[in-house]
Amino acid sequence: MQSEIKNIVIVGGGTAGWITAGLLAAKHLNKTSTGSPVVNITLVESPNIPSIGVGEGTWPSMRETLKTIGIDETELFLYCDASFKQASKFIDWETLPVSQNSETNRSYYHPFSLPFGTNTHNLGKYIGDHSPENGHLSFTQKFCSQSILCEKNLSPKQIIHKGYDYIANYGYHLDATKFSALLKNHCIKKLDVNHVVSHITAVHNNKENDIAYVVTDTHGDIYGELFIDCSGAQSLLLGKHYKIPFCCKKDILFNDTALAVQIPYQDDDSPIASCTHSTAQTSGWIWDIGLQTRRGVGHVYSSQHTTDTAAEQELNQYIEQLEFAKKTDISIKKVTFNPGHYEKLWHQNCVAVGMAAGFIEPLEASALAMIEQSAQMISDQLPATKQTMKITAKRFNEKFTKHWQQIIEFLKLHYVISKRDDSSYWLDNRESSTIPNSLQEMLSLWRYQAPSKYDIPQANPLFPAASYQYVLYGMHFQTKSYQYSEEEDKLMRQVLNDVHNKRQKLAEILEPNRVLINKIKQYGLTKI
Amino acid sequence: MTNHVLLNNIEHKGLKINTDRTEEMGDNVWFAQTFPLEFRNVQAHYPILFQKDANTGQFMPVALFGFENGDNLFLKNGQWDAAYIPFTIQRMPFYIGFQDVKNNGVKEKQRVITLDLDSPKVGKDKGVGLFLEYGGNSNYLENVAVVLETLHTGIQQNEPFIEALVSLDLLEAVTLDIELNDRSKNQLVGFYTINEENLNNLSQDKFIGLQQAGFIESIYMIIASQMHIHDLVARKNAKLLS
Repeated sequence: MQSEIKNIVIVGGGTAGWITAGLLAAKHLNKTSTGSPVVNITLVESPNIPSIGVGEGTWPSMRETLKTIGIDETELFLYCDASFKQASKFIDWETLPVSQNSETNRSYYHPFSLPFGTNTHNLGKYIGDHSPENGHLSFTQKFCSQSILCEKNLSPKQIIHKGYDYIANYGYHLDATKFSALLKNHCIKKLDVNHVVSHITAVHNNKENDIAYVVTDTHGDIYGELFIDCSGAQSLLLGKHYKIPFCCKKDILFNDTALAVQIPYQDDDSPIASCTHSTAQTSGWIWDIGLQTRRGVGHVYSSQHTTDTAAEQELNQYIEQLEFAKKTDISIKKVTFNPGHYEKLWHQNCVAVGMAAGFIEPLEASALAMIEQSAQMISDQLPATKQTMKITAKRFNEKFTKHWQQIIEFLKLHYVISKRDDSSYWLDNRESSTIPNSLQEMLSLWRYQAPSKYDIPQANPLFPAASYQYVLYGMHFQTKSYQYSEEEDKLMRQVLNDVHNKRQKLAEILEPNRVLINKIKQYGLTKI
Repeated sequence: MTNHVLLNNIEHKGLKINTDRTEEMGDNVWFAQTFPLEFRNVQAHYPILFQKDANTGQFMPVALFGFENGDNLFLKNGQWDAAYIPFTIQRMPFYIGFQDVKNNGVKEKQRVITLDLDSPKVGKDKGVGLFLEYGGNSNYLENVAVVLETLHTGIQQNEPFIEALVSLDLLEAVTLDIELNDRSKNQLVGFYTINEENLNNLSQDKFIGLQQAGFIESIYMIIASQMHIHDLVARKNAKLLS
């Protein structure tokens, strides 16, 4: 019975490590009848390694993850500087900003709520047709009630909703360092995860080439049957130890450098945005994430296409025009990264989660979602023995290689359908040699039919067809309209009417983010 | 809209309060907040449930008068058709305000009666007067003062009561499925009630804790009051026929 999986060793703290520990512990730490835990979970992290602090935006899936781990939603608002995220807003992605363009023309939303009716009805002329007689409403204004909440900085729920319940689907913006600390505290105190603070100095394999134990400088050898690499960009086990090849994707997604800053609000009443703002620049884009006390802003760009100085200048210009912001004492932190992922994510008895598996620009904030999905699958499919681990590993690799492929292609889509031509960056992005074949194929199809579930082969994809619709039609992509019946036309008119009414209703009953967050901090959200 | 002013016997000398119970007078509310001190009276006539305060999300006990916003099934021929009217309704259109006063040079907050001048109940022609000829309080106003004072003390009880219920997991969400004689089915959501299973499984010391805090009686009165939901259904059916 030596090959039973009884001891799981997680290498690295940070959000990847603690989310993985939390999900595994919540499911597997229930005691057997004899009182001993089914599995032991140990997390080893080095002392004083500052969290890189990226991944400040989550997807709605984080609500379920936190619920599973057993964290009370109120705690997020009390301890993680958290706010609600309901969408991403893309500004200046389609064309270069022209001063007479209104704000609506310059931007589009990718909300977390699905567009209404687009999966069930023949959208006919309503989806890809942007002629004036079809109204001046944007795709989200026509089909999604949520974008009005983003337009007005309104919250996605009311104080009477219990923790994690909502009216409009949402994730969070949060302080990643504080979030990690909250998870850590919960995992150690409530979920009995063993915590070892020590440097790992060596990794030892057994005869089967599996990792037998890691050597630490202060806590001796730590043995385990499954090792989860959450060591961040250094990829201690998968990359350094096993030397799994890295698939660099810089030929598709050029961005490899980021300049990040934190900008406090002007005062305690400054409005908090409902979505991440992503504003296209000459050779990259700027993220803008509103927490309770500050914004996290950063410029991510391609070092092949611009210089740090020019990038910093654009970042400063962006900060200059911000409202409700304290612009003194801004210190810029530079981060470089190699976009891509490891060829295999699970090798022998080692699986990588988070940046140890790969990293890509945070355009759709997919980093935390990938961590959640990876940890969830490891937890759900936790092999009972080493013999069956091979099968689980194979499935895991297939699934996550596909996820990486989809993320990369979906992100690339944002660049490919842009009409910007103000720099070689935007032109190079549309160069067909930089566009994966499968994305090119889909783009040809979408000229005649709207994205549908048939475009996405895998089950539980990271991005459903709706996401493609939001991006394509947000950027006025033309899908040739085709014949539709009078009956279908009637249905669509009904849909448009319903969405219109729902938008007005939501805007009436929901409060500004700041107001609700203050209430949550004062009164808490109830559990029932 | 409301327009609250401090009540005084000069400006408000001639004011009268219309005591009719009608929709026009703003009595068409479908529930009202209540508190343990008056549970004994309330449970004799109305179901007591819990709702979340729209402003704070905190639970509060409410007496239910109907099944939808604006529908008070106890309004009948200008009267309230029950022997007891909850304090939060009785007090209308009066409220408690706070005023800074100096008492021997020390600033303190004093409770004062305020009046909502925009309430349809307030007028000059019909109803009972507030002040006597030479400025003294009318019996009606004296009673209002007692009601407000009781309300002030009573509502404060809700916080520890609710806190005890929540901490012991004694509240649960309840959906009321109401089928009326016209076969229409209505669902009432957003209400909470006592979780009887958890109540019955309470450990002895926790139960005694509730008893010592004086909450046991309140809890059982709430449970018993649920029977009045049938009365409400009967009233609704009768209204459908009329």
